[in-house]
Amino acid sequence: MNNKILNIDLDSKKVSETPIEEEIFSDFLGGRGLGIKLLSDYLAKAKTDPLSKLNPLIFSVGPLTGTIAPTSGRFSLVTKSPLTNTIFHSNSGGFWGPYFKRCGYDCLFIKGALSSDNKGYIVIDGYDKVEINDAENLWGLKTSETLKKIQQMEGKNCQVLCIGPAGENLVKFSAIMNQAHRAFGRGGVGAVMGSKNIKAIVVKNGTLKFPVKNKEYMKKLAIVARDKIKVVPITSQGLALFGTAALVKVINSFGMFPVKNYQFAYTEPEKIDLVSGERLRERFLEQSEGCYNCIIRCGRMTNTGELSGKGPEYESLWALGPLTGIFDLKTITHANYLCNDYGLDTMSTGATIACAMELQQKGLIKQDSLTFGNKDILCELIEQISLRKGIGEELAEGSLRFSRKYNAQDYAMQVKGMEIPAYDPRGAFGHALNYAVSSRGACHLTGFLVALEVLGAPKKIDRFSVRGKSDLLFLKQNQSAVEDSLVICKFVGYALGFEFTARFLSTLLDRKISITDLITIGERIYTLERLFNVREGFSRKDDILPKRFLETPLQDGPSKGRVVPLDDLIDEYYKVRNWDENGIPTDSLLEKLSLKRLI
Amino acid sequence: MNLDPETFKQFKIVGKVLTDHRYNTSHSGNISMRAGGKILIKRRGAMLGFLEPEDIIETDLYTQDSGIMLSSTETNVHRQIYLNTDAMAVIHAHNPFCVILSLIEDEITCLDAEGIYMYRKIPVIEVDNPAGPTDAAREVPPMLKNYPIVVVRAHGVFAKGNTLYDALQNVTGAEQSAMLRYYTMLTGKPLKRDFSKEKFFSEW
Repeated sequence: MNNKILNIDLDSKKVSETPIEEEIFSDFLGGRGLGIKLLSDYLAKAKTDPLSKLNPLIFSVGPLTGTIAPTSGRFSLVTKSPLTNTIFHSNSGGFWGPYFKRCGYDCLFIKGALSSDNKGYIVIDGYDKVEINDAENLWGLKTSETLKKIQQMEGKNCQVLCIGPAGENLVKFSAIMNQAHRAFGRGGVGAVMGSKNIKAIVVKNGTLKFPVKNKEYMKKLAIVARDKIKVVPITSQGLALFGTAALVKVINSFGMFPVKNYQFAYTEPEKIDLVSGERLRERFLEQSEGCYNCIIRCGRMTNTGELSGKGPEYESLWALGPLTGIFDLKTITHANYLCNDYGLDTMSTGATIACAMELQQKGLIKQDSLTFGNKDILCELIEQISLRKGIGEELAEGSLRFSRKYNAQDYAMQVKGMEIPAYDPRGAFGHALNYAVSSRGACHLTGFLVALEVLGAPKKIDRFSVRGKSDLLFLKQNQSAVEDSLVICKFVGYALGFEFTARFLSTLLDRKISITDLITIGERIYTLERLFNVREGFSRKDDILPKRFLETPLQDGPSKGRVVPLDDLIDEYYKVRNWDENGIPTDSLLEKLSLKRLI
Repeated sequence: MNLDPETFKQFKIVGKVLTDHRYNTSHSGNISMRAGGKILIKRRGAMLGFLEPEDIIETDLYTQDSGIMLSSTETNVHRQIYLNTDAMAVIHAHNPFCVILSLIEDEITCLDAEGIYMYRKIPVIEVDNPAGPTDAAREVPPMLKNYPIVVVRAHGVFAKGNTLYDALQNVTGAEQSAMLRYYTMLTGKPLKRDFSKEKFFSEW
């Protein structure tokens, strides 16, 4: 690590460096952990408006970022979410993270805001050369246009994070796009950047190398790790051939593939095939694409004959497609391109539109064209949301705020304000629990129990059992916090156990770090996130799923008749986490993890 | 996927026999059969000795599909066997005596009457990455064009058959012959009569 935070104060336009204490690395690693620690220390007061200039944007790499460890191209972002008002972390792949690390920093801490008549973009040009340039000519541009223009100004060999019109217009689920086609998604991080009047963050010309004491052993580990990734079918074949959309038919076969705002979760084989990873490959795939040092290459570069771009990924394909009742792959792919270009989170976009469609279906709003399956309005709605025009003004607030306006909150499929991903919780109870308790709202990434409950990786467990699910979720969530802090891609987890993670880190840092040490670090990160949320007023009352999943059984498919026994799951989970019955971490837990309550 | 009880019963019985005979660990090994342009194959990580209907995964016979997200790690070896041989069912197991002999011999010559009748000799092949499916998918099918079973050195056997039971017979028969050969070699004494030389097994 470089042990340096690059601070940019947008109020004063001053740039400075701060050293990172060794203890912070030991306790929080980097990436998500470092960001969570810094945000918790920085936001001294509860209820800070996420779109005020008090809310910082914290980008961090981890100890493994940019190393020869497979899939080490990722980096992390932490801020307070305008969608959920919780602490929020997101991560992205590509090459920006390794480029930034080579500029000599581990963390970019952006505070304050530029004035609205002084929009800018940040350029980090190697070590110790940071500028805030005028962005008036970029403001209003879509992300692909922004990337193109910045590359003209700053040279082709630069990596660009930017927002699109959605972020500029403070859409609550806008994203920060990475090279215009990857995303820091979910939670509205694009709006936080927009609120600071920052259009883009560019890195280039980083040349520093990070020392590894035992380089030879690190190389050997990387070779063995790559061999394992090449053997496991999920990483070597499933994701490589079909991208994450390989999950479409798999999840549907378990009766967990949500359709029409979660009113259904199973589709007949002939119909589901229309939107499968196989059809995407057959019809539109030009080539696969990988992040820095990745041999999985799950990214899809696609061309529909009319347009070309990246994706769609599984969740995007689902949210913009079957969740809204649309099974036309070309329309879905175009909608995905448009979301990327406007800088929108595809999942919340699709889920919010699906919520609106159900309100129309139930007669709670009057918008004739807003019907399930109407593919003609999808792209128009995306534009309206991004520009906050027409009904887009209301939808831009996310499904919870939108539905509340019509006193129809039960039709918003969300937790803590964030829309639920593409696995019906009624089909996998451990995964359902994760949706309910995740610190950033409904999230599939922070404790992906679908791996065990559906994919059988590493071994299959009963998806409808209750006992023991909390313990497994505890482990998965802690592992996930570690992966997000190192920062590595979660997909390597299908091939490599944590014994690899511990060895990579031990070799890199030249000191012994065990799997148990890592899990404790993960627990510390997760608990600190909870402490932040507790200070914001979150507790058991917020660890809840929409009524549909608790009271309305699925009518057909392999998960027919199921509802989530959430109370039983949560009672056990709090005990495993050593939180009290209201979901507050106990004093003994804080003592064990050397954490203090946030006041 | 529609899986009729009779078909599932074959999987269950064969899986249990392989486990009871200790040809595999609790979770290793995989078995499959051809079925109407599809392959029915054991789920990755499922226990062969305790198969449930949902442990049988359907995947396309001719092309890779997303069934690979659930199916056995060696799915592609099975697929290539089906596409390149007359196999209707395939078993992969880690027969201990076959594996032991594969570490010290280039082929396993049968000494016992049953083995002589069924196999004469069992070929051994070597691949660079014996635990991975890629090399085996390339090297195993050519051998199974002419033999009912092949041993991958240091790894295990791939056997074909008209049915799962037929493939099972090849797995158990080969292991029996390998065991008898191993113990015979262990005595260190010369054979009274070597049928393999009389019947030109080396040319088989």
